[in-house]
Amino acid sequence: MRILVVEDDGETASYVLQGLHEAGHSVAVAADGRDGLFRAAGEEWDLLIVDRRLPGLDGLAMVRTLRGGGVDTPVLFLTTLGGIDDRVDGLNAGADDYLVKPFAFAELGARVAALGRRPHRTAAETRLKVADLEIDLLARTVRRGAELLDLQPREFRLLEYLVRHVDQVVTRTMLLENVWDFHFDPHTNVVETHISRLRGKLDRGHAVPLIHTVRGAGYCLRAPA
Amino acid sequence: MRLPRLFRTSSFRLTLMYAALTGVSFLLLFGVVLWATTRFMERQIDGTVSSEIAEILADPDSATPAGPRATLGQLTRHSGDFYYLLQDPAGNVLAGNLPATDPVVGTREWGGEAMHKRQPFAALRGRGVAVPAGYLFVGLSTIQLHEMEEMVTGSFLWGASAAMLLALAGGAAMSVRLLHKIESVSQTSRDIVDADLQRRIPLSNSGDEFDHLAVSLNAMLDRIQSLMEGMHQVTTDIAHDLRTPLTRLRQRLELAQRPGVDSDTLRATLDATRSEVDGILEIFSALLRIAQIESGARKAAFATVNVSDLLRTVLEVYRPALDDKQQQLRETIERDLMVEGDRELLMQLFANLLENATRHSPVGSAVAVVARLCAATVEVSVSDNGPGIPEALRSKVLQRFFRLETSRTTPGSGLGLSLVAAVATLHEARLELSDNGPGLRVTVFLRNRS
Repeated sequence: MRILVVEDDGETASYVLQGLHEAGHSVAVAADGRDGLFRAAGEEWDLLIVDRRLPGLDGLAMVRTLRGGGVDTPVLFLTTLGGIDDRVDGLNAGADDYLVKPFAFAELGARVAALGRRPHRTAAETRLKVADLEIDLLARTVRRGAELLDLQPREFRLLEYLVRHVDQVVTRTMLLENVWDFHFDPHTNVVETHISRLRGKLDRGHAVPLIHTVRGAGYCLRAPA
Repeated sequence: MRLPRLFRTSSFRLTLMYAALTGVSFLLLFGVVLWATTRFMERQIDGTVSSEIAEILADPDSATPAGPRATLGQLTRHSGDFYYLLQDPAGNVLAGNLPATDPVVGTREWGGEAMHKRQPFAALRGRGVAVPAGYLFVGLSTIQLHEMEEMVTGSFLWGASAAMLLALAGGAAMSVRLLHKIESVSQTSRDIVDADLQRRIPLSNSGDEFDHLAVSLNAMLDRIQSLMEGMHQVTTDIAHDLRTPLTRLRQRLELAQRPGVDSDTLRATLDATRSEVDGILEIFSALLRIAQIESGARKAAFATVNVSDLLRTVLEVYRPALDDKQQQLRETIERDLMVEGDRELLMQLFANLLENATRHSPVGSAVAVVARLCAATVEVSVSDNGPGIPEALRSKVLQRFFRLETSRTTPGSGLGLSLVAAVATLHEARLELSDNGPGLRVTVFLRNRS
């Protein structure tokens, strides 16, 4: 992916740059909002990672300007402003995701991967398939092979999210935000218990598991090779 | 110094205006009264004079060229209020008690001296008619009229001056009182600026508009004070509570720097250091969140929230975690309980309570969640069979960083219940910690909105 990082803090910029580079992305850095806006609008990118507090032009204003000018490149806000309103403001300005500093690189990597896939999704999907797993989004039924699985509504949402991000790592925070709408971190291992329950229903009795734990990062639903 | 200020007050200026208005209205009233009474008395005089003349003319003598000389002579002697004059065309006085004059016919005012024996007069009012003998004038003294005019003018002058003086004095008194009250407000604000945040504006307990103002201002000051104290407390708490993990961090790093440390130990130290730093960062974000909630800015985004649905969602999230600890969940949730609030924050409130319940109570115990409508209040309670909280410490656990000695060993920042308290305060909801015998019951009283 071609990624533009708009970040004024040199250390953070090189940390992000190095990590994304290792993950196989081609990355450029703009050090202020004006430069960022200029390059984001003038060149072809797959993703913009934008700091909210920028010299020259505020990140929020920069994204708003881009969206106003018809540039719909996915945007991920990176910021120290972790307030509830800040997140809402960011998303309202047209950002696709929001990550609060400090963050683990695994978290950023997972979110970047998730955003990179977005445009390929078709709007009117009614069926999702991974290997022998099949989800009917209209009937809200799940089959693995011939077996019809009995899932709770929230388990269904969890599985749907994992399947939509097949072969990608999804972090605990991403699941909390997108499946449960929790924008805070519960200390109890709610995600772990739900995953283990889903795993029990999905993978029990099957030689190849679909849900994998990625140590130090999160979970991944993968088709057997 | 006091006097000039008094004159500069808006109430005093109002008073001056009021006094001027009073003066003008008195003047108008005076004019009208004077005009009306004068007219009335003049008409009375005219009427009396006319009948007197009619009587004289009825005398047969009046038709003779000699005129009613005898009658007039008699009248002059006996009826003392009237003044008479009969003169021939040449201007010689034939009878009466007035000097000769221009024979002006009709109603006339006659100023000047007259040869009246008994009383002097300033002026006469009467009527002149032409008779065969020449000219006849009958008049009455206007002295009463003038006296009346003087009296009316005098009393009006007195009245007006008294009213204006009263208005001025009342205004001055009112200004002094207002100035005094406002001065006490200003003095309090100056004291507060001089860092005495405890001061409040005194109430007069009369329930007047100044008391209302004082009550509002005092409420504002209370809020400012609680915010300031909260800020002060947070600063102190952070300093105290972050010192411990930072000290541990420093010790670890120092140990790792000693010569002869192998790479495995170094790696382990790095891992431990990172999780320590993550813990500190987590404390920071929890503090920031509490501070943000306490600032009250979220109130602008309040909307109607279905607490019943919200609770079911939260319970659904935690059910597997409770199952894992073989804790039984008993839920009694009435349908469609509505409150005005912030969905996300209320969700976190209930999540924190449930999390505390499952974390602090033993394997195999029961956790109960009850939500019901009680009058105009939505009561949500979460109870467990854990160790509970001693009554004396119940208010303390809502403070930041406070942790019971017994829970020092379990993970957590000691900020969970302070966040709950902050969210409750934002929603103007009462939070009650009570004994569940055994265990803890936390009840939130939210205002119902239906």
